[in-house]
Amino acid sequence: MEQLLLKHTRAGQCLSFEEYRSTGGFAALVKVIRNWTPDEVQQSVIDSGLRGRGGAGFPTGRKWSFVPRDLTGPRYLICNCDEMEPGTYKDRVLLERNPHLLVEGMTLACYALGVQHAFIFVRSGYEQVAGNLRDAIAAAHRSGYLGKNILGGGFSLELDVHQSAGRYICGEETALINALEGKRANPRAKPPFPAVKGLWGQPTVVNNVETLANIPAIINDGPLLWKNRAATPEAAGTKLFCISGHVVNTDCFELPLGMTLGEIIDGPCGGMRPGSRFKACIPGGASTPYFTDAHRAVPMDFDPVAKAGSRLGTGGIVVFDHTTCMVAVTLNLIRFFARESCGWCTPCREGLPFVQHTLERIESGRGEARDIDILQEHVNMLNYAFCALAPGAMGPVDGLLNHFGDELREHISAGRCPLEGDYIC
Amino acid sequence: MPRIIIDNIPVEVPDGTNLLEAARSIGITIPHFCWHPALGKAGACRACAVMMLEGPVKGIQMSCMLPAQEGMVVSTGDPEAVALRHSVIEWLMINHPHDCPVCDEGGECQLQDFTIAGGHSIRRYDGLKRTHVNQYLGEQIEHEMNRCIQCYRCVRFYQEYAGGTDFGVTGRAGSVYFGRQQDGQLESPFSGNLVDICPTGVFTDKTARFRARYWDYDMAPSICPGCSLGCNTVPMARYRELLKTTARRNDAVNGWFICDRGRFSKAAVNSPDRPRLALVDGEAVSMDVALDCLRERLAGFLELDGPEGLAIVGSPRMSQEAAVMAARLREITGAGTLCFFAEAEQSAATAAAVALLTRDNAASQEDVRRSDLIAVMECDLLSDAPMMALAVRQAWRNGARVYVSGRSGVEVLPFEFETVRALTDIPFSSATNPVLICGADRKGIDSIRSTSLEGVKLALVLNGPNAFGTALLAGGQEAVSFSEALADGRIKGIITLEADLPSELPPEIRVLAVADWLPTRLIAATEIFLPVTSWVEMDGTYINHEGRAQRFTKVMHPGLPIKGLSPELHPPRIHRHDAPGGDILPTGEIVLQLLERLGSERTDLTGCGDTWKFLTLLEAESNGFLIYERNNGP
Repeated sequence: MEQLLLKHTRAGQCLSFEEYRSTGGFAALVKVIRNWTPDEVQQSVIDSGLRGRGGAGFPTGRKWSFVPRDLTGPRYLICNCDEMEPGTYKDRVLLERNPHLLVEGMTLACYALGVQHAFIFVRSGYEQVAGNLRDAIAAAHRSGYLGKNILGGGFSLELDVHQSAGRYICGEETALINALEGKRANPRAKPPFPAVKGLWGQPTVVNNVETLANIPAIINDGPLLWKNRAATPEAAGTKLFCISGHVVNTDCFELPLGMTLGEIIDGPCGGMRPGSRFKACIPGGASTPYFTDAHRAVPMDFDPVAKAGSRLGTGGIVVFDHTTCMVAVTLNLIRFFARESCGWCTPCREGLPFVQHTLERIESGRGEARDIDILQEHVNMLNYAFCALAPGAMGPVDGLLNHFGDELREHISAGRCPLEGDYIC
Repeated sequence: MPRIIIDNIPVEVPDGTNLLEAARSIGITIPHFCWHPALGKAGACRACAVMMLEGPVKGIQMSCMLPAQEGMVVSTGDPEAVALRHSVIEWLMINHPHDCPVCDEGGECQLQDFTIAGGHSIRRYDGLKRTHVNQYLGEQIEHEMNRCIQCYRCVRFYQEYAGGTDFGVTGRAGSVYFGRQQDGQLESPFSGNLVDICPTGVFTDKTARFRARYWDYDMAPSICPGCSLGCNTVPMARYRELLKTTARRNDAVNGWFICDRGRFSKAAVNSPDRPRLALVDGEAVSMDVALDCLRERLAGFLELDGPEGLAIVGSPRMSQEAAVMAARLREITGAGTLCFFAEAEQSAATAAAVALLTRDNAASQEDVRRSDLIAVMECDLLSDAPMMALAVRQAWRNGARVYVSGRSGVEVLPFEFETVRALTDIPFSSATNPVLICGADRKGIDSIRSTSLEGVKLALVLNGPNAFGTALLAGGQEAVSFSEALADGRIKGIITLEADLPSELPPEIRVLAVADWLPTRLIAATEIFLPVTSWVEMDGTYINHEGRAQRFTKVMHPGLPIKGLSPELHPPRIHRHDAPGGDILPTGEIVLQLLERLGSERTDLTGCGDTWKFLTLLEAESNGFLIYERNNGP
């Protein structure tokens, strides 16, 4: 399987600027600056079918097209590297190994969008990543790939790394913009969308690290070749899947989009650990409803996963074996989300602790039949929260109710957790 | 003007009206906590959910967030919307303490009302309620954070609307906390509005804690006498004690808010030192006896010294009705002097300011809020007219440029500005709606007069709640300032009506009578003292800085507060029809009764010529009435 993002990289080592350049790095930028118009770059991205890799899967080219074209005044690109979704660590792997790819990708995106100042919003704790990026930016500056009049083509760009104080909600693009402006990280009301009114009131595009890192390959290979690296005709490109849980190989793999769940688990993951039987998995980060054995044939691409009742999300797959209590798993995740609510809107701030409390009662054997109604109500009602955090948080609860209702009821009728495995709690 | 249908009722609303306001306009109250007309939408509480049946948006929506658009069909009673609103109340009540019986907000609490209205009564959450530590926020505002429902109104008001920096929000998720970095007096001069704006009992008026429930209060629409702006208020009293003051909405004047000085100035009304008994030569007598005695001595004075030596002295803090009566007293007695201002400088500056204002150039607080260029000249806004500073801030938040010149309280103003040397340095011509704010200051008024200010509206901050009215009257009656009259040397005796005369009077001048409700130093020098009502104990009119006549109405009966009685009298064991210390009258009424005793026919304002007739038609619950229109009637 051909690697686009992780090619030439080695685990535990950061590619040097010279290594990157000598293996074809910045070729796309040179090509674009010399011969391409910004519109051609944007059209390539549209043609490639690239969809946002941060979780929502929105077509990147379309997102770019919402930026008003004939506007005077600055516009901004923000790279969202606030990777805090439990089970997701792809951006970290990518940037610890090859920060230059992001620098080149962002430069191309800024060229397409007419941006002269862009930001990389790095989550708290990613010290290595932030250091790598600063070094990469400095090296690119020295070689004329950043700064004023890049490669003599008249295009100028500054990249700034911003290290977040650290909250999950900063990954929400409008909360991220508020945080970057020095305000509380509360989401903003939409509309206006950031593409129209974002950072400091100016048009702003917020893209995920992996999304932007794909752009050099789209330019180098052409959109069609890039798109066809996927496993199905509907899917586009490759995707970083980060695997954790009860499988043999837990690592971040770059795989064609559209491989089935079963192929991923049995292939690169090396199957379940000895003595473990597959019970369920989180398909795309902590805010996605569970997949079970019945979903092994689902192609891991945005639309098929959505059709199967979950979301591809970030591609962070967490596999659970037969010893795992799914109530405990859900409780673990809800504790995270309840803690990470920004506290702006009532459903999220008050509803999530209610769900957490209810799951705690059930897991500790104090559950009542009406608790299931409470959970179901919250799955419905938290959709009406201010931003996507609370609806996302209810993904696992939704999965629990849909696929593990019997296990839930067993907890209540037995008055205790029926499973031994409690390591996740 | 989109046309929409809410609960089968068609309604047409102005562009930009949100669905919550549209529903209110036809009498449908959708529950809400975070939305406030002055602060706008936040979308935080999610209590105002409605179901969109038809139109460009479908499904459950927050009515505060959605502007009305043509063709929308809205249901507020849709089962799903009701279920969500029910859930919101349940969520909020998870942590809200059940302390309504001992909470000062009880009975006037939005959360209480909407919880009862929504029918939430059975608790499903059996965990602990979260608790917070309360802060000391000064002597005026009590903090009880456990009651907080995180609507963010307080911080949106304090920081965004009022520009305060010492109060804010910290924490996240369930531990969101609204307070200061550490205990201490809130610094904003508008902090009292937190009491009005909090939809539950986090911020309550500490000065009135545990004194009364909402339905116990004597309340009436009133006007703040604190400065010349005439902010609209609702004073709240019980047992003849003024307990608290809240803001009353008037979009043309103060909007939704008032300043702390106006809110918390009540001590003088309730003070045990307040002179409440009529005195003749230091002996307490009834009001009738005092007035009889004044008639006698006045007659004697007029006979002996002649009317030329008599001065009738009013002040800009008296109601316009009383001021008109003062002028009439002068006319009937033929007194040589009528004064409304103590100092010549103030008298001249106020007269000049009033002469500058016309119907077209007088700026209201609302004009200031809507302005795109504001100049502040020779005026310490936060001291002379605090709410004007808040109005300037709103304009500045909307992008207005602000220039300051001359005397000002520069270091604390809640907006950014550029300091300029002279009026001519301000680029008025570059603005669409420029406003010049100037104090009642000779230098400032003179420079306005000598500069061409075509198209610039004027907000001239005067000295006293009725400075405009008394200055108008002074002009018509050829009144002079007291200091000028004194220098003239013809004054032999004075009758003062709510007047603050600064210095010691020459001993040869007889102080025949003093009518006041404040314990001024003149009381010690007067032969006859006549206690009068304060603004909360009477009906009257003040004319504010822009020439807006505004009616205030009687909130409470005058008399010693009941808690001021001795313990053996509470509950009262002696039954009487009059209140102790309640034998007092409004100044205007006292003058009327004196005039009757002098043989004049009883009259009211309508008997004082057509000029002031319109005052009798003025309604308190209105936007007031601009004096320039008075020939047309209100």
